[in-house]
Amino acid sequence: MLKGHLDMIVLAALSSGPSHGYAVIQEIQRRSGGAFELPEGTIYPALHRLEQAGLLSSHWTTAESGRQRRVYALTKRGTRALADQRAIWQRFADAIGGLLGHPGHAPAQSGR
Amino acid sequence: MPQRSPVADYLDALTRELGFDRLLAHRVRQEVEDHLWEATAANGDSSIEAQARAVRCFGEAREIASQYAALSLLRQARRSGAIIVLASGALYIAMKGRVAWYGLMQWALSDAMQPVGKVVLAIDRTAYILAFLLGAVGWAYISSRRVSPRFHALCRAQLKRGLLLAMAAACPMVVSVIADAVVTALRYLEERPPVSVFFIPVLSIAIEVAFAAVLVIAIGKTLRNTLRASSLLSS
Repeated sequence: MLKGHLDMIVLAALSSGPSHGYAVIQEIQRRSGGAFELPEGTIYPALHRLEQAGLLSSHWTTAESGRQRRVYALTKRGTRALADQRAIWQRFADAIGGLLGHPGHAPAQSGR
Repeated sequence: MPQRSPVADYLDALTRELGFDRLLAHRVRQEVEDHLWEATAANGDSSIEAQARAVRCFGEAREIASQYAALSLLRQARRSGAIIVLASGALYIAMKGRVAWYGLMQWALSDAMQPVGKVVLAIDRTAYILAFLLGAVGWAYISSRRVSPRFHALCRAQLKRGLLLAMAAACPMVVSVIADAVVTALRYLEERPPVSVFFIPVLSIAIEVAFAAVLVIAIGKTLRNTLRASSLLSS
């Protein structure tokens, strides 16, 4: 399930501002309460893919350690895509919440 | 003998697995190096154990590389498709320019050469139209494929189809360029005009040859990288 939503998760982690890959992973773990366990390296191809799709932009900076570091930021398209995905997810979560929250209420039958 | 650094070993392995795209491999290596050393520092120190833990959490090099493969190879195939369309346009302009030049110079093939010229021109025209149509179909096909997050069988099949169409377009395009060169050579051998007159036809042929060469090289490179990625990532 997580893999199917990885792009949305990465976009959400970058919504608070530009960040590099390691910090994105830390942010995902912090905001999810450590619920998602996936190989950390999986984030990088996703960042690359999102950048190619125009949802992220990136540039190199030099870290305090002197190493080269790539920093990613949401583009306008990325911000819009995240808002769209949030809305879709919210509708889905509301629908599932409605189903699971009221076990006595069966969903309406289609007449079959 | 000093022990090898797990981080350095991992970076070497990842660079090897990403051999299907050297530019990407260089970028990913730098980015992952920063990640692994930061993760190692977060593990407490830079000991071999701390490095090994950071590498373990990062995931298998081959698995990570395979997630880059689909996007990288699709991008390469799309570039080949765009070159076909660009080359078709360049060939068309070069051919029309040459014909206009011959008209301006009132330079026609002699009656003796007319039959040969007609046959070669017919081959040229047919080959060009075929190359353009196949190239356009191939470009449309590969451009409309969605980027897969994984280099799975469907993704490989799509790349294979796109590359086959590109190769099918490149062959008649090369035939068309050869036919153009033959007709131009026939004209030259017949009249041996001065360089000032013959310069434009030679330049137009050189442009055609350059575009055809760029196309063949681009397709060859993409094909090689796709085969390399397939063999690396499926073994």
